[in-house]
Parts: sequence; structure tokens; C-alpha cells
Amino acid sequence: MNHSAVDQAQKAIGCAMSRRKFLGCLAASGLLAAFPGALLRPLEARAQGGFQEGLEMFRNACPRNCYDTCSIKTFVKDGVIQYIEGAPESTFTDGGLCVKGYAYTRRPYSPDRVKYPMIQSGRGSGNWKRISWDEALDVIAKKFIEINEKDGSMLGLALSKYSGNFGITNYGVEGMMTSLGYTSRFVGTPCWPAGIDAQNYDLGDMWCNDPEDLVNARYIILWGANPAWNSVHSMKYILEAQDRGAKVVCIDPVFTQTAAKADVYWEVETSMDGALALGMARHILDRELHDREWVRNNSLGFEDFADYLRREVTVDWAAEQSGIPAEQITRVAEEFATAKPASIWIGYGMQRHVNGGASVRSVDALVAMTGNVGKAGGGARYGHLRTWGFNYHALLQKRPEGAVGFLGTGGPMGDFDFTGDVQDEYTDRPLNMNKTAEEILTADDPPVRVLWVSCKNPLSQDFDRNKMVRAFQKPELIVSVEQYFTETVALSDIVLPVTTLFEEWTVNVSYWHYWMSINEQAIKPMYETKSNIEIAAALSKRMNELQPGSCTFPTDIDTKDWLAREFNQGIYDLFGISSWEELKNGPVKAKMHPASWHDLQFGTPSGKYEFRSELCAEHGHQALPKFKEGRKPYDKLRLLTPHTKFGIHSQFVNIDWMEEFNPEPFCYLNPKAASERGIKDGDQVRVFNKIGEVRLEVKLTEVVPPDVVMMYTAWFRNNPYNCQNLVDDEASDMGAYKTGMPGVAIHGQFCDVARA
Amino acid sequence: MECPKTMPLDDESRLTAAVRDFFIAQNAAELRASVAKLPPNWRDERLHDADWEQTEFAFNRLFVGPMALEAPPYASVYLEDEPQVMGKTTMLVRSVYEMIGLVSPWKNTLPDDHISLELDAALALHRMLHAATPSVRGQLQELRVFFLEEHVQVWVPRFCARIEAAPSVTPVLLCMAAALRQWLGTSIARQG
Ligand code: SF4
Repeated sequence: MNHSAVDQAQKAIGCAMSRRKFLGCLAASGLLAAFPGALLRPLEARAQGGFQEGLEMFRNACPRNCYDTCSIKTFVKDGVIQYIEGAPESTFTDGGLCVKGYAYTRRPYSPDRVKYPMIQSGRGSGNWKRISWDEALDVIAKKFIEINEKDGSMLGLALSKYSGNFGITNYGVEGMMTSLGYTSRFVGTPCWPAGIDAQNYDLGDMWCNDPEDLVNARYIILWGANPAWNSVHSMKYILEAQDRGAKVVCIDPVFTQTAAKADVYWEVETSMDGALALGMARHILDRELHDREWVRNNSLGFEDFADYLRREVTVDWAAEQSGIPAEQITRVAEEFATAKPASIWIGYGMQRHVNGGASVRSVDALVAMTGNVGKAGGGARYGHLRTWGFNYHALLQKRPEGAVGFLGTGGPMGDFDFTGDVQDEYTDRPLNMNKTAEEILTADDPPVRVLWVSCKNPLSQDFDRNKMVRAFQKPELIVSVEQYFTETVALSDIVLPVTTLFEEWTVNVSYWHYWMSINEQAIKPMYETKSNIEIAAALSKRMNELQPGSCTFPTDIDTKDWLAREFNQGIYDLFGISSWEELKNGPVKAKMHPASWHDLQFGTPSGKYEFRSELCAEHGHQALPKFKEGRKPYDKLRLLTPHTKFGIHSQFVNIDWMEEFNPEPFCYLNPKAASERGIKDGDQVRVFNKIGEVRLEVKLTEVVPPDVVMMYTAWFRNNPYNCQNLVDDEASDMGAYKTGMPGVAIHGQFCDVARA
Repeated sequence: MECPKTMPLDDESRLTAAVRDFFIAQNAAELRASVAKLPPNWRDERLHDADWEQTEFAFNRLFVGPMALEAPPYASVYLEDEPQVMGKTTMLVRSVYEMIGLVSPWKNTLPDDHISLELDAALALHRMLHAATPSVRGQLQELRVFFLEEHVQVWVPRFCARIEAAPSVTPVLLCMAAALRQWLGTSIARQG
């Protein structure tokens, strides 16, 4: 071929001027628009935005279940994302994202996205048909009407939703359920409920200091948290504190990347954190290093706690239980008590046990008795929901007239339960999220006839996967709302394609830092994707066509308008803005004191810090933060399934950039445990226990203790790996008070391993 | 199936249109209807005996989803280092459409380098050339040469190979991959 022609054409294509000239020439010849294709349309003069050269910037926010909830700047050209960066306006995000966040541009533009509504011919068959939104919603709406007629209520419809997208408008999924009547809801939270309850008993709420205030700490204990992987933006404050002379102690059964940065690392015996904290407390008491004035003025029951420590706790006992030598316990206890201010970051890992809530209470007590609660640079840091006071406009829908529901509990419907105090004659039917499989299999009168899954991948993340597969055979209809083809979609009848963060309007806040970010629609929704609230509106339209009045959700919504409706004066005042539009200039930070409980007015019944909590006792636990045993081992090794660096739960691991670093799952085993079993590095092994097994490659490493097998929780798109084959649904001690259901002893699991 | 080496122009356009409509079909009926538009000498018996429902399932596994696609119908996937759409390749193809005054009705919602849109553009270019005055014919021809030889001819054979090797491929899909190869051969040959 004639190369100059190619060059010319390429030049013309590459240069907007030439393109315009070329186009002008064609237009003059009358050719333009004379031959539109069957698909392609004439380019209208005013629509020639295609030639625009400039970048437009939009504001986004990472809506995943991650401490950091990053503020993002998205750069778009001709309607297409070019790149993203962390917003520098947020001092927390500080212009940078994590490795997962930088992979975001891969999400809307992966060829593997779920693009259209599709229906499966035979659940699990892999035989899918593309259908229109109208067809999909017609099938769903007719089924809803059918179950309502059959059961006299909508309780046969169950919602499984959790933390896949924390954008506030996504609570419209719950709103959609409410607008249909009284339904069944999977209630609770798998992640952090025991700790939430513990902090509520001790302090009256879960409320952490500003993480940016960590720089003020003179002593930091990172207890069962791995921010180097899971809250990368917090690390700079820890390192800064270290630079200023603070000592950092990391307590974790696994030698994490965070542990590598610490001054002291304690490989604690898993689930013995409570014993360790109590041993430290006893030593502080013996040395009279506790803050007498603070406990006298601000707490309740300290003397009872001290009596308990003197009577039943010794440092040697704590050393024996926790595996940490007594002299180390005493040294760190003394240092912690005398360095003021001192802070403990209580990770979610350490409370995923049958004694998790009790352990968190023991750690809280350590912080309180040293007078570190309510102080900048101090605090028992766990999380907070203080900045979440939106209107929940999408969530708060009316029930249809005459709707009938469940007669029973009126407890909280989860950790993010914002339904308010409306007391109706009926309620939704609560089902335990942490026993999803069991509930689907046993719920009756009516059974779970329709399961709606959104912002969640239960087949990957929920416990006892074999039981879950059985459970997913039971409902008459399963609808998944998803971005990717997950294991849950594989066992659904209908999949509805949902937007990514770039394709919808919403607003995001964090359960850790104090910032708020707007999430603008930066690009058009790709293919036929819709946001959760648009799906709700479309469904409502069809419901009302088929049976007027059967759904109260508005049928025609503007997502930007719905975003605006989330704001109220309280939010504006808290963040010091007068309109949500100001968020377009960048994220804003709540005008809150950096120290939680700085006024020492606690939310407990007594208004004080409660070492002795009668409420806790009323709820069936110990009134004092006493030691509680962990789960009894039922197999030779302990199984730990923490988070990977390359994903959040089942998200991100399937993205191609992540696959490059992390193409397949491994399990990690100490060389000692391996040699006892004749296992060599790189062997294929079988990890098994009473509920199932997993086959994968083993890596031998000293970072895990000799009695542990570790594998990360993750979903791989090309690999059947699933750690939930081995994790049962044993409940943790606390969680029911504030989240409706107890948590799960995710790390109270046991197994054995053998060469495959 | 023996394919005629040269085809009358009409047949070529019919072939192009049929293949175009096939790859963007939404269901079994549309798949079947597009196949019926093939020129008569392409009415392979494999197409007559097809199980259209099975074809639809397979079609979705290869080109639509919801599972990861066995043979994504987007040029980007075959021309870029990383399997993504809406990047350089998609934008280059968008520019080609714009240069001939066309735009995808699904701009920024369906990648412009979807095989069916590209076939549609090829068809439009072909027709424009026939109607063009001498003053623009040269430029149009250059563009067509560029589009077909430097772009389409590079990725479509890879796409066809991917279809042929796909785990879920069926006789109808094989047949349409062959039709696509045939279209490519005759279109390139035509420009001389
Ligand atoms: S995953 Fe966490 S750290 Fe990474 S971008 Fe999202 S919020 Fe930020």
C-alpha cells in the first residue's frame, strides 16, 4: 500500500484541524449524511463535540468498604475517562490512591462487564439470553405480584445487600424494598458487629478520633489492624508520629507489612487479645500507672474492674495465654501508660471471634484506665458513623397502602440502619445476614421465594459456601444486580447491569476519617447499565402499570436531584458548607474536634465511661470487661482468612491490573507445620475441615505461626477458589444490640492441610 | 463451504450487512434473521439446521456476557496491550466515523470499535466512494485504505481466530466467522 496515503490519513485523524477540514470538504460535496449506515447516524454539526481536545474534571469517591473512602479526581475527554488521581484537597487522600484505586479506570471499560439485563435458562446452566429492561422488569414485577397474592404479603421477597457500594443514594435498594411493602431483610453485618456493641457498652457509641490526629500520639498500638494494606492513607500519620518519637507496637497473629514498620511486633496467640490486654491492665494497676483522676471523674465501675484484675488476672497468666513473654507485657504496659497521649487502633480482625466483643472491651478498658479516652492523640479507635447524618431520601419510602408484614421485632436492621424511629404495626422480617444460607433454607411462612442481591456477593463472601450453594437452589427467583459475572450471578436467574462509581451521582463519607466527597456522574452509563435507584424507579413503573399502587417508589427520577435531596442543614453545619454544590470544589472535612468524646459526655446510660455495663449484662454478657474463652479448636490448625492487598472482599481481584500482581490464590503455611506433613513450598495442597475443602498452591513462610493456615478472602474470575468452603457461620459474642444480629467468628475456624 | 473468490458488488454489500447484523443481534430471532440476509451462495446447510436457542447461548458466551467474553467483539481487545475498550483504538475508530460525518448512536455507551459498527462504516465508505465527486474521491479512498488495511485487516483475523478457538463455538458461529473472513478478503482485494 501507498505509505504516504496512510501517513496522510493518520495525520488527518490525529489532528483535529485536518479532521475539520476533511469533514468540511465532505460536507460541501453533499456526501455527508447522504449515506448513514444502518447503525451509524449522521453527525450533526452541533454534536461535533467529538473533536474537543480539552479535559474535563469530575469529582468521584471510592465507595467501597474501605477505611479510606478516597476522594478522586476523574479526567474525561470526549466523554471517556482518561485517568484518575487522588484529590489533593483532602489532606487524608492527599493526592494519592491505593493500588486498587488506581485500577478503577479498568472497571467501566473492561470488556467483561455485565452489560445488559440477562436471564438464565436454568439456574447455573450458563445459558443466558439477553433481554430488554422492560422484559426483565416485567418478569420480576409479575413475580412480585404473584407472591404478594399468594402470601398476602411481600415477606417472601428477601434482600441481600451489604457493603459493595456505600454511596448514600444506594440505600435506595432498601427504599425500593420498603416501597413494595414489608419484605424480608438480611440483617446484621459480617465485618465488625462485636466491636460495635463493645464500644457501645463502654462508651455509648462507636466513635473514633480523627485518624489525622494519630500524629499527636506518643504511643500507638495497632491491634489486629493492617493499615499498610487496608488503610494505606492512615500510614502516613503513623509514620509521622514515629518520626516525632512515638513508639509503634503491632499486635497480630500474622507478621504483616504493618508489623514490619512497627518498633515492636507481638505474634499474639489468635483470640487471646483479651487476656493480653487484661494482663497489661493488671500490671498498670499494680504499678499505679492508671489515671486515677480520669477514672474517678469520668467512669463507672472501675473499682469492680480493678478487683477483678487483682483477683483473677496475672501477668504470667496473660503471658501463658497470649504467648507474649511477661517481661514484654510489663514493659509495653508501662510505656503505654506513661506516654501521654497514647492510642490503640482496634482492628476488625481481632473481634471476629466468639470472644471478640469481650476482647474489644478489654482493650477499650486499657485506653480508658490510662486516661487516653477523649484526648487528641489518644483514643480507642474502631470506627464511627458521626458524619453519616444524611436524609436517606432514597431509603425512606412509604409502604403501599394496606401492606401487611411481620409481627415481631423492631430491632436495628444493620450497622447502617437509618430508618429512624417510625413504629408501624408491622415490620420487615429480619433474617440473619451471617447465616444467610441457613435462613434461606429454613425461613418459612412464607419461604424466601424471591432473593434480590445488590452490592454483595454472598457466594464468595458469606459463610459455609457448600450450604450456600444448596440454599441458592431454593428461591423461585434470584435477581442479582452486578458489574461483573460473579459466582452469585452464576446462580441467579436474572442479572441486572449496574453502574460503576463514574456513572452515577452520589455522596460518600467514611467510617474512619471525617471527610465528605461528592461523586459526580463523570461519564454516561456504559451499555445498558443503570444505578440502583434508577432500577428501583423502573421497577416501580412496571409494578404500577401492572397493579396501580403496588409500589410507592417514584417512577421517574433524576439521580442528581436525588443526590441533592440527601443534604440537610445538619450536614451543612457539620461540614461548614451552605450547599452541596460546594463539594464540586473538592471534598470537605467535618468541623469536629479531633478527639472523640473530648467533652467526656459519654453516650452510656450513666453518661460515663462504663467499665461495668449493666446494659451489657442485661444483654447476656459479662458486666465487666472480663476474659472470655475463644472458640475451642475442632481441628489441628487454625484457619485465618484476612484481607488481601489486591482486593476488598470480592472486589478488585478480578480487574486485569490486579491479576497481574495476584493471578492466583495461595495458602500460607509455616515450614514447621509443612515438614510435619511432608509438604514442600509450591506443592498443591488440600485444606479441609468439617464443612469443606479448598485446593491450591502452598507457600511456606515464617510470617504465619506454626499452628496457622492462612489464605486471603477473595474472588478470582478464573479460579474456583473460595475460602468460604472452610468458614462456618459460628456467631461471635456481640453485635445483636446495635446491628440486629451477632457477627461471625471468621477467625475462630480450624482445619488441616495435606498434599493434594 | 466453498467461497466464491470474487463477488458481485451487491452480494458483497449483502454479506457485509448480514454479518454486521449478526454480530449485534440481541436474540435468537435476530440472529436467524441476519443469517437469512446472507447472499444466496452463502446459505450453508449448517445455517439451516441450526438450533437457534443454543446458538444464542453460545453467541452470548462469546460476544455479550454476562460471563467473561470468549471472543470480545471490540477491536481494542486485539490491538491494545491490555484488554480494555474506550482507549486509543476506540477513539481512532471514532475519528474515522467522524471524518465521514457519522457517529455511533451509542456513543460513549457502546465502544465505537464494535465489529458491527465497523462493518457499517465500511459499508458507508463503500457507498460514499461510489457517489463521490472526483474532488473528494482521493481523500475518501485514502481513508478507506487506511481503515481497512491498517485497522480492520489487523484485528478481524485475530477476532475470527478467537471465535474459531472459543470453547463454546457452534457451527453457526464458525460459519459467520468464515463469512467475516470472506468479507475481509473481498473488501481488501477490491481496493487493489
Ligand atoms: S480502596 Fe480504599 S485506599 Fe483504595 S482507592 Fe478505594 S478508598 Fe482509597
